Order: sequence, then structure tokens, then C-alpha cells
Amino acid sequence: MASQAGFFALFLYLLIGARYTGEDYIGSTVQRFFHFDPLLALVTIVSARVLVASFAFALVTVVATVLLGRVFCGWVCPLGSVHQFASFAFKRTKFLRPPKEESASLAWKYFILFAVLAGALLGLNLAGYLDPFSFLARSLSTAVFPILAQGLSSLNGVIYGLGLVSVGRSVSHFLENWSLNATFVQGFAIGLMFLGALALNARKERFWCRYLCPAGALLGLLSRVNLFKLRIDPGKCIECGLCTQHCQTQAQPFPNDKWKSGECVYCETCAAICPTAAIGFPAGAAAEKTTNVSNVDLSRRKVLLSTFLGLFAVPFFRLTPFRDRASPKLIRPPGSLAEAGFLAKCVKCGQCMRACPTNGLQPALAEAGPEGLWTPVLVPKIGYCEYYCSLCTQVCPTGAIKELTIEEKGEVKIGTAWVRKERCIPYVLGKPCIVCEEHCPVSPKAIKLVDVEAHLADGRVVVQKGPVVDIELCIGCGICENKCPVMDDPAIFVTSVGETRSEKNRLLLELLPGTPDDASR
Amino acid sequence: MKRRAFIRDVAVGGLALRWAPGLLAGQAAPALPHLGVAEGASPYAITKEAVAAIGGMSRFVARGDKVVVKPNIGWDRTPEMAACTNPEVVKALVELAQEAGAKSVIVIDNTTNQARRCYIRSGIQEAVKQAGGTMLFVDEHRVKKMSLGGEWLKEWDIVLDVIEADKIINVPIAKHHSLCRVTLGMKNWLGGISGARNQLHQRIDEAVVDLAAFFKPALTVLDAYRILVRNGPQGGRISDTELRETVVAGVDAAAVDAMGASFFELAPQDVPYLRMARERGLGRIDLEGLNIDKRKI
Repeated sequence: MASQAGFFALFLYLLIGARYTGEDYIGSTVQRFFHFDPLLALVTIVSARVLVASFAFALVTVVATVLLGRVFCGWVCPLGSVHQFASFAFKRTKFLRPPKEESASLAWKYFILFAVLAGALLGLNLAGYLDPFSFLARSLSTAVFPILAQGLSSLNGVIYGLGLVSVGRSVSHFLENWSLNATFVQGFAIGLMFLGALALNARKERFWCRYLCPAGALLGLLSRVNLFKLRIDPGKCIECGLCTQHCQTQAQPFPNDKWKSGECVYCETCAAICPTAAIGFPAGAAAEKTTNVSNVDLSRRKVLLSTFLGLFAVPFFRLTPFRDRASPKLIRPPGSLAEAGFLAKCVKCGQCMRACPTNGLQPALAEAGPEGLWTPVLVPKIGYCEYYCSLCTQVCPTGAIKELTIEEKGEVKIGTAWVRKERCIPYVLGKPCIVCEEHCPVSPKAIKLVDVEAHLADGRVVVQKGPVVDIELCIGCGICENKCPVMDDPAIFVTSVGETRSEKNRLLLELLPGTPDDASR
Repeated sequence: MKRRAFIRDVAVGGLALRWAPGLLAGQAAPALPHLGVAEGASPYAITKEAVAAIGGMSRFVARGDKVVVKPNIGWDRTPEMAACTNPEVVKALVELAQEAGAKSVIVIDNTTNQARRCYIRSGIQEAVKQAGGTMLFVDEHRVKKMSLGGEWLKEWDIVLDVIEADKIINVPIAKHHSLCRVTLGMKNWLGGISGARNQLHQRIDEAVVDLAAFFKPALTVLDAYRILVRNGPQGGRISDTELRETVVAGVDAAAVDAMGASFFELAPQDVPYLRMARERGLGRIDLEGLNIDKRKI
């Protein structure tokens, strides 16, 4: 319907807008969507134990849901729209034939929600895995856009091959201007999950929304008043059951008293499909005694068990040695909070990765432990941190990456560069290079050149200018590693040590502000 | 040159000689200077003046020419950092090329930082837009491995949008470089190629000369309005720069670079690639022997 198409288009437009537009400050973009999401709001606030002002917008959704039911799911949610469209496609192609009556349990999403909430109580933010906005933004940014861009780029090879240079140029400029030329190490895996989520619609209509979505479950619990209630005109109803068969979310419109208001997303498919137009949603002022969430079998034992599983998930997701000792490859975006706070807030939406102009921000696999899966990590070999850029800090919806001006960002150290002398061209081959020094963006440069002796295989000793890092000047941006001509395993590389955000991951005490150094003592 | 244009030019030239035989004898037209050097507070005005000093743009660009202007837009830096060619200098050249009748003027560079950021922060994208030129990004589909016929660099990946032109104008900025000592016009051609450019540093001087011999610009205009004297080639602080308020124009790329080296108190023969360029016969670097038209405005 128009509302869904509109919100989906808006989401897409804003997400594509999370990029270098030519302005240093790109203003509010797609993160505003996230601020309306009560699940992200609740989990982030609880797990990080801090009020995030922007999440006040989520109250709008809460109030709307209490009064009107899950209209958010049926009218707004862009991932819901994607699933609805996929279901429609599967129904049209007869991959999906909805049964007359559906008996599958709707309770799973509630159990998922309880587990997520229980985890949040202990500071674990699990919302990002299955939150619809996070899931969609991450999938689009790291898989769908890159797939489309690569396809378009290959097509462009053909276009150029046909001699259509100006058409080819337009395509290339489109990809460059909209920052679509990015690929992500986990794009394939994340893309597979997205396809999997879509494929589930061939089994049950809006499978995700019915059985998996923790945000939908939270809204289901919140839908208390439901001013507009489904009413079947008994005089018109011919009891054909079409409404229940084609209900997108298994809310069971017929018989009327079985209608689960907490499952209804007000898509009004039932009203549209009813051959005798017997179904309407008249305003009914009286609050229900209980919402029909109780029609969903949430036994106390199951609720307790899922809550317990959520608590159990906390140590499980923290099974990593890197909680005590920093991972060298865990180079976080500038402005990232200290690791514990970062993990409590990051919802894995991937917008920082979308915004990163060099494609350097990548979804983590194991660098940050299971808890940090798909959180952003800078991989300098793929892309470096652009000196005059703070875009990733501007698009973070939860403040896991603190918003920074470009001046502030220039003061932040995200890691430290190290020369691997045994691979470095001047040190080993005795040939000139200086590429890392040339690219070092700070002034004075953090990479100095000194005369180094190379002992060559033929016995000659050659003196050449070789790089040495001044770790006090180095900000860890990684351009040296990125541009190093030693292609496979660069001879200069960045690790996280010395990062501003960490008190533990330090190198020299002298770098602590206010600490007198040895000489002056 | 198209055959028709050639026939027309021969006919026009023939007629001109018929009526004014003095043209060839060199009496009517005084010999043009090797270099035009203009100093002044406006980078835009001194660029036009420097080109005027060596005979004006119509000497280089003919009506209907496809012109490529190749500035140094390597870095995501603002003009006062003197890491990229001054946008006003580029603007003046785009305008001059258009006034000379160019069919199209394309401005392009293979940048080091992200292309779009460099194009925008350098101010060059805006300047070119104002002047009515076209900016192109380097497109990997439009890169071709070509034989360079160089002494060291036999073949390399060349950006086709740079060389598919009737006339190429090289517009470098004068900057410190810790390997080459200075980066001027000839080194600017590292922005006309693609591939693993960073590997060229192992024999950078040979590479620079081979590339300069390959690209053969019709005109080189060196921006020394604000030069980068340390922390090159990208600087980062205004204190890394010095205001020279000078633009040098010339056909002889080596001569322009020789003049550029002098801004850094370097004798041209102390810059290895300039010495090699002279030995290869690419141009002159004996500043004393050159006819230099120096103007102040």
C-alpha cells in the first residue's frame, strides 16, 4: 500500500543519503528511523544504562501502538514491506499456498524478545541481530547495494565495449557519486541471511513478522487499547474463511472472537478480500480486558525459560579472550566509546560502514568476540580512515560512535602504525619507496624517514631512506598500510594499541595527559 | 588533425605566405619566449598573463579541439594547504581553452585520497563547473595497459580519458616531495595512470621521465601561487606553505620544471629526473640560456 511504499522509499533514500554527499556534515539521515524503534530504544537504554535523548521519538511509536495496535508493522516498517512484497510474489507464483487454518505457534518472537530484554539487563545488546531496521540497513548496505553496484559495473564494461562512452561515464559517475562502489568482507554471509529471511516467506506469509521479529513482539505486547477493532458483520459473513486464510500475520480475523489484536498489523487484507464486505474496523472505545496476546500461548514456564536463555546468552556471547586484552585488529571508528560501552550501544546497523568513504569500515567477524559480530572495524588494507571525514560518527543511531566534528576527530587516535622491517622495501631490498611517508596525513608527519642499511643477498650494503613511526604523532588512520606497495601483507600496519578510547590498550604511560615523563622526575 | 582541417590550414597558410612572405623569415613575428612567468596577487589573472606571454592559448588549442586539463588534485585538502593545484589557475585555463574554441574541456586526475573528496575540497570541481568544463572521475573501465616505449617503464595502465584528447594541458602545483625532492609538471603524470602506482617509487625518477615523454602535453602551466615547502606532497598546515604568487607557462615541460625547482632554491641539475630529462632530450633545464618573459601584474 502507499504508506508502506512511501516509508520504504524514504528509508532507502535516507540510507543512500548516509554517504559523502560533498558536504562535511551531512545532517540527520536514516538514523532518525531507528530513533522511532522502541526495541532499539529500550535495549540500548537498558544495556548501556544511559538515556539517549534521540530515542524520545520511540515514545511516538509506543503511544501509537498502545492506542492503535501494530500499525507500525503494517504501515511503516520497511522490512515488513519487503516481507509483504516477497510473500505476495511467492503467493502469485504459487510457491506459497496459505492453508485454510494456520496453527503454527506465534510465540517464538515473544520468547526472542524476552531473551533479548534479559540480555540487555546484563548489558548485552542483542537487538541488532534481529531488529528490523538494523537487519534491513545492514543487509542493504553491505550486501544488496554492493551486489547491484557490481552488477551495474559489469554491465558498464559491456556498455563501454559497445562504444557508448558517455552512457558508461554516467553509470560510473552515478556509482561514484552515490558511494555505491563498496564491498564488504561479510557481504556474502549477510546477503545470504537476507535472502534466507526473504525465502522464509515461501513457507509462511510474512514469516519474519509472525515468528521472529522481536520489535513486532514488543509492539504486540504494547497494543492494549486498539481503538479500531476488527468487526465481522454476522449478517453478511458467509464463513468462507478467506480472511483467516490470507491474513498476513496469522491474526485470525474469523471467527471474530478469536481475532488476535496483538498480532494484527492493520493491513486490512481481510477487509479487502472479504467477498461480502463483512469486515470493518470501527472505532471501539472500550479497552479490551486483555489483549489477545493471551491467545498466543505464552506459558509462564516458556517465558521463564526464554528469559533464562537470555541471561545465559550473556556469558555465551562473551566467550572471547579479547574482553580482558584488546584485539590488535579491533580498530574502531574514531569517536567509538570504550569497548564495553560500545558493545552495549552498537546495534550492528552498518550505517557507519555505508557512510565510510573509503570502504574501510567492515563488519567484524571475530575481532570483537561473538558479541561484536557485525560491529564496525577498520580494515586498513581495504580502506583507511579519511583525515577530514567524520561521517561515521554522524550517522550512528545510538551514540556507540560519538558524534565528532572534523577538528575533534583529528585529535582522536584509533590505533598505531608499525613498520615491519623484514618486509619493507628500503629495509630489505635497499630500494627507495617512501610511499607511507608521502601519504601520512598529519603535519608534521608521523612517519619519518631515516637512513637505513639494507644487507642485500649479494653481500652489498645499501643505505636508503626507510620509514620510522613517531607513535605520538600517529593517529592510526591506516593510509600507510592501505597504500603500502607490498600488496599481500603490507610492510606497515596498524594495530589498535594506543587508541584514545581505551585506558587499558595503551603503549606508553607518558602518553597519558598529565603524567610527568621520566626525564622530568 | 582531420584531413579536411589539414587541407584548409594548408590552403590558408599558403595564401598567407603568398601575401606575407615575411612570416616565415621571422621578421614579422618576434620569437616567442620559452617561458612565460607572471607574478601577482590573483592566481586567475597571472595564469592568463603567463599564457599570454608565450603567445596565448590559440597557439595551443585550435577550434574544435578536445582538450584535457590535468591538474594535481591528489589530496583531500583545501587550496590554502597547497597540496592541489589552485582552483583559480585551473579555472583560467579552462576558460582560455574554451575561448580558443575547444569543443570540450575535460578536467581529470587520478587522486590519492577518495576522488570525490579531493575534487570538492580542492575547490577544483566548483571552479571547473563555473568555467563550463567537465570533470571526470577516473573510471577503471577506461584504463588500458599501453606500451609507453619508455627506457625503464615499458608498459603501464593509462587513463584513457587523459590521453584521448587533441591537446593535453598539464597544470601541476609546485610541492616538496621527500623522494623526488620536488614534484612539478613531469611528476604530475603519475595522476594520469592507474595500476600499482606506488611501486613506481622504486625507480621514481626513471618513471617520471618515461611518463613525461609519453604524455607530451601541448602546454605546461605550473602553479606556484602557493607552494608546499615541507611535509610534501600533501602538507597539512598553512605553515608548510609559502606564498610565491607566481605562475609559469611553457611548451617545454622540462624548462617549466627547471623554473619550478628554482622556487625551492634547487638547481635544476640537482633534481635527478630533470637531469635525466635533459639527457633524454626532453627539454632544456639551463635557465640562464632560456628566453623568459617575466611579467608582474
